Amino acid sequence: MSQASLSEDRHPHLPATDLNQVQRDILDKTPFVGFLGLTVSLSERAFSCHMTFREEHIGNPLLRTFHGGIVASLGETSAALYLVHELNLDDEPQCSSMTMDYLRPAFAGQLRAQPRIVRSGKRLVVVSVEIFLDARLVATGRYIYSRQSPRSQ
Amino acid sequence: MVATAEPNQYINMAKHFFGASHPLFSAFGINLDDVGKGVSTMSIPFNEDLCDRSGSIHRGVIVTLLDTNCGLAIFSRLGDMRPIATIDLRVDFIKQPEPGDAIYSEVECYAVQDAIAYVRGRALSRSGNELLATAAGSFAVGTRGPSFDSAVKPQEQE
Repeated sequence: MSQASLSEDRHPHLPATDLNQVQRDILDKTPFVGFLGLTVSLSERAFSCHMTFREEHIGNPLLRTFHGGIVASLGETSAALYLVHELNLDDEPQCSSMTMDYLRPAFAGQLRAQPRIVRSGKRLVVVSVEIFLDARLVATGRYIYSRQSPRSQ
Repeated sequence: MVATAEPNQYINMAKHFFGASHPLFSAFGINLDDVGKGVSTMSIPFNEDLCDRSGSIHRGVIVTLLDTNCGLAIFSRLGDMRPIATIDLRVDFIKQPEPGDAIYSEVECYAVQDAIAYVRGRALSRSGNELLATAAGSFAVGTRGPSFDSAVKPQEQE
């Protein structure tokens, strides 16, 4: 789904080859990422993830806003995709903690998540993500990743 | 500040909360297990469409379940369903669920002060009762927009 989206007209200037294999696996082989329906926009200077509203993303049906958990998931996936490229990771990083600030209602539309690395240490990496609806900042997220092996082992 | 509510009122709240059809709750299969004053328990069955690549329920789904559960815990403490909005939410991921595992969550709204509701909760694996994630957050109470039930008249909303 995401792979197909990448080759659509939305970002015709972006060949899919700009994403590495680990990033493509996150986008195309993670069922829940498929549920979110993300597209990636890449340029030399900027990385962002986009998510277009679907009814299954709804939080408050009366206001027609994205669910807070869906906004958090967009942010976390964008952070993971960004880290894979920036730190040249050979697998998806494991998020150990997230803190979301919801600043404005995220009304049905297209959200854009823009991650940046706050601190990349030997053990931990801290990523901050700004999430926009059109030009307005609707949420920020701070995601902590451990460089240790996955915690399930 | 906190209204009293008959036990069956919580069930009525839950019915309003889940509504006739909510596309996200339906897609996730979110199920209400129990609700009392200021406490709520919800679960989701295992669903391979909501998994990560290891075949476990994705952490984003756990966050969504916890955030949803916070809402009902707050309504049940307030005794009505005036509009609320998440201010902030922190979730720590303690352990990844096992592949195939269903998830349940418990959330408590432990205080409401100055139109802010405070919540904490956790998510556990259905099979092993193992702690998977903890959550803490705050919500604005009486935000703009229509109420989730008819117990709050528009003029009572801020």
